[in-house]
Formats: sequence, C-alpha cells, structure tokens
Amino acid sequence: MPEPAQRRFRSKVRKPKDFDDYWNDVRTRLEAIPLAPEMAPDPLRSTEDVEVFQSSYTSLDDVRIAGWYCRPRGAAAKLPAILTFPGYQSEPAIPKDLARKGYAALSVAVRGKLRSNGQFNPGYPGLMTHNIIDRHTYGYRGLFADAWRGVDFLLSRPEVDPGRIGITGQSQAAGLSVVTAAVRPVIKAAAIGAPFLCGFLDAIALTRTTPYDEINDYLRMYPEHRDAVEETLPYFDCLNFAGKVACPIIVNAGLQDNIAPAETAYALIDRLGSADKRLYAYDGQGHEAGRDGPHRAIVDEFFARHLQGTEGKA
Amino acid sequence: MMAGAPGDFGSYWQATLDALAAYPAAAQIEPIPLRTTAFATMYGVHLTSIGPYRIFAYLSIPTGKGPFPAIYYAPRYQSVMQPAPQGTASLQRSRYITLALAARGYRNADKPYAASFPGLLTEGIDSGGTYIFRGIAADCVRGLDFLLTRPELDPRRVVVAGNDMALITAALHPSATHAVATPELFHDTLARAAKTAAYPLEEINDYLRLYPERREAVGRTLSYFDLRAFAPRVRAATLIMAGAKGSALDARALSPVSDGLEGAVTVRESERSSYKDGLFAESWIAAQCGIGDVRSILPEAWAKAASP
Repeated sequence: MPEPAQRRFRSKVRKPKDFDDYWNDVRTRLEAIPLAPEMAPDPLRSTEDVEVFQSSYTSLDDVRIAGWYCRPRGAAAKLPAILTFPGYQSEPAIPKDLARKGYAALSVAVRGKLRSNGQFNPGYPGLMTHNIIDRHTYGYRGLFADAWRGVDFLLSRPEVDPGRIGITGQSQAAGLSVVTAAVRPVIKAAAIGAPFLCGFLDAIALTRTTPYDEINDYLRMYPEHRDAVEETLPYFDCLNFAGKVACPIIVNAGLQDNIAPAETAYALIDRLGSADKRLYAYDGQGHEAGRDGPHRAIVDEFFARHLQGTEGKA
Repeated sequence: MMAGAPGDFGSYWQATLDALAAYPAAAQIEPIPLRTTAFATMYGVHLTSIGPYRIFAYLSIPTGKGPFPAIYYAPRYQSVMQPAPQGTASLQRSRYITLALAARGYRNADKPYAASFPGLLTEGIDSGGTYIFRGIAADCVRGLDFLLTRPELDPRRVVVAGNDMALITAALHPSATHAVATPELFHDTLARAAKTAAYPLEEINDYLRLYPERREAVGRTLSYFDLRAFAPRVRAATLIMAGAKGSALDARALSPVSDGLEGAVTVRESERSSYKDGLFAESWIAAQCGIGDVRSILPEAWAKAASP
C-alpha cells in the first residue's frame, strides 16, 4: 500500500516552556490529597466467573471519582491489571471481558461522567471548552488527574501485581492513556486507538465534526479569546506528553476517521518516546480504527505478551 | 401481528399515545448562540411528555428559505445526545433541519430522573406499564410532534434516524416519511441476550441472574417492544442498517423485521466500518431527500476518500 497522504502531515503543536513545571505543580497538589479508595461488591453485575465492584477514590479538587473494578473470581496468584477510560460521550464500560482474560481491570468514570458528575458537570457538548481560556481551571486538568489516580487505585489493590499494569482505550480514552503512561512509568504496556486530544489546534483545522468542533464554536463566538485558547491547549495536548512515554505501545488508527483525524495519529506516533512503538493504520476505517475487526486480536496478543508473559513480570 | 406479540399490543400503544395526547407539548424554545453558525441557527427545546415529564431537544434550522428536509435523531443507547451524532459534519445542518432528542433520563432531561448506563434497559422492566422505554417511546413521538409544527419543515421529507427507537417512532407516528434504523435492543431480545455477555444486552442477563423468577414478566414486557410487532405499522421508506454478515443482527437475523415492514425497505449489512456504513447512510438520506451533492456535507475525512 502506498504511503497515505496523512503520513506527510506535520503538527503545529509546540510545547510550552513551563509545561513540566505546570504539571509538576498539579501532581504535587494531587499527591497531597488522600486517595481514600473504596470498593463495594455489585451483585447485580457480578457473574460466576467475574467479581464486579463499584469503586471510588478522591482526585484533584477533592472530586470523588467512580469506576467499575472487575477481577476474575477465585484467582490464587497476583494478577496483571489493565486500566481503561471512557470516550468523550460514552460512559465507562464494565470491564468484565478483561477480567475473563485474567486481568484485574479498572474502568474509570472520569469527572463529568455518570456517578462522577456531582461536583463537576460541564455537559456534552461543553467539556472541550470548559474554562478553555485558563489552563489552571480547564476541564481536562481534572480529567488527567483522575486518570493518574486510577493507577494509584490499582496499586492499592493487594491482588494486583504492580509490575504488570497495562493501559488501554480508544478516542478520548486513548488520550488519557497517553498522559497516564507518560507520567506513571509503572505502566508496562499501552494499546490505544483513534487517539483524541492529540493535536487540538491541528484537528480543529482538519475537521468540522464534533467534539473538536466545539472549539470552533467557541472561537466563532469569542474571537477575542483565540490567543488565550491557543495558549491553554498545548498544556493539554497529548502530543506534548508523548515524549515521556517509555513503555511498549501500539496505536491503531482509521485513515477515514471523521472524529480524530488520522493525521494526528501519525503526529502522535512520531513523538512517542518509546523505543517499542507501532502504528496500525487501517484504510477504509473510521473512528473504530479496526477495533471491530482484526485489531482486537492484536491487542489481546500484545497484552498477553507484555503482562502475562515472562518479559512483563517485575 | 407477529407470533408471540401480546394480544393487547395495539391497545397498549394506543393507550400510551392517548396518554401523551392528554398533555400539551408546552414547547419552550431558546436560541443557543454558541452553536449557531452562518449556515444554521441552534435552539434548545423543552417539551412535556407523558408522566408528565419535561424532555429536551437540540433543534437546528438552516439559514435561508425553506422548506427543508429534516433528520430527527431519536435517542440512542447512551447518556448523551449531542446536537448530531458524534462525528457528523457540522455542514449537515446547512441542508437539513435537525432535531436531536434527549429522552427522559438522558443528560439535559435528567431531572428528576437520571438514567443509569448500564441500567436503563431494565428500568421498570417487570411490567409493561412501568417499563422506562414506554415513556421513552412517547418522548420520541412528542419530539416528532414538535418537529412537525416548524414552518420551515418540508413534511414530505422527514427522516427519523437512530437505533430501535427510530423504527418504533416511525411505527407510532405516521408522519415519518423515512427511517434509518440500526437495531440493537429490541429484536428477539431475550434469546439474543442469552447468547452474549456484551452490554447492553448483558443488562438483561444481569437482571435475570439476580431475579430469575421474573423471566416471564420480563419476556412479556419486552414483547411490547419487539421490532417484529412494530414492522407492519411502518409505512416510511426504511433503511435497515444490519450488523455484519454472520453477526447476531445481520440481514438474515433481521429479516423478520425487514420483511414485515409496510413501506419500501433497503437492508444494508455492515462492512464493520463506520466510514463505509456512514457514507452509505448519508448518501441514502440525501438521495431520498433530493440532495444531490452529498459530498459537500460529509465529514472531511470521508469526502476526501470518496473523491473520484
């Protein structure tokens, strides 16, 4: 197959000089907040082979974050674990399927999602531009912290092997996975797809579809805020976190993705710091990016190799 | 009437529609400047449905002289209803009136009742009188009632799009001229649930695992919502978006629905590609509505790929 035109795209995203200082400050604030993890069995969702729990913990600004925690019933040994997140408009899935494959799995309802929206509820549409002119209160500041805290929750679980934690997700969940793998080196493997939150300022020029188009809506109504928006977004752009991702990572992208342009997936793979990285680009695919076809088996094999095989063990 | 449909199927739904008719829509319409463009004006709409319950919808009206065709987005199985499905080109709003309904429990219509996902599919499922989808179906009808009041609308080109609720709406409201339906919930639900561990049908399995004694009641409730029973009432020209060949809802599995439809029917089996399937659906709608240059209102990534 000839090289797709999207491969030649060059992102305009640049990292702010105080990017690391900004996020170190957020992380310091986060670490000062007790995790206060809680779990309650959910008999309605549990099965003969999988235990399901409603989980919660405290994140930035003392927001309680809900989740679904699943584990294979009756596991005798320490378990590898996988962390995952919801997409922009979807709710977190109950990861029974991962538990059936032998993983402890946490699916985080980041702030704004059902069960985590009592203290923060920007709306959909709305999240993309929530306080977008102020990096200190932009909505994704809290979501990133919620994602990092998911790692802390898994590390708090005695049945989880801290040396075998992976991360996965599509779309917004892919972006959250990148920022988490970047700041939490305990993550041993990442499999992401159709990455959203990569190249915000590129994407709003490449596409006029939601959710990115929420930013265009905002700029149309408040053109005087363009400089402030362009100043805020690079702090939250996954392309600026990518260099710190060191774990093995695979990325799937659809060349006809109408939500997260394929161009930005190429920009991401170029910037990922990992020596072991691979992009699977699927022609004829949209935002599902091959997930409904052969890529599912590729992800299964990837995690089995890195989290269940000998090379993934601590 | 399909075999297995309850004998009071017709009276159940007529009673629902009669209850809905007892409430005025009491439409409150407010402009949303943030989502308004040079080519379309966005409004937020609040309506009363049965209960009584206030529901919400995003209404977009193209700039210019109508009348315009309309796409009515019935609620899908997710907590969020955006002004158009995620990934839809904003320029679609330049050619169609669009109305996207947040039914009871969905965001923007979640007070006093906030739906759970998972959870909605079994809410009140022990009885046809309490099942949440009776109210949601009424909400869908109410949304179409409202759309038909818009003077900008061409009533000969009214497309209702969505999952099962699109087909149910078209069955309950004869003013839908076209339907695009991707069934996922209400075709042979109990039998299909038994063969999967995937949500949303896993909600049914979860419920019956905890309450096995309620199986018969659940089955009876679901029979009021089975698409096979609605099919003979659908006179709209319909596009059925079936699952990929060999999947649980492929064209063959859905044939009892598609064969039963009263109006003209096109069945499209998924190519496991939201791009290819989406392009087909957008093109079908445009052709039905007399819009010749569909490429001009496609997402950029699709338009580029579809260029000769």
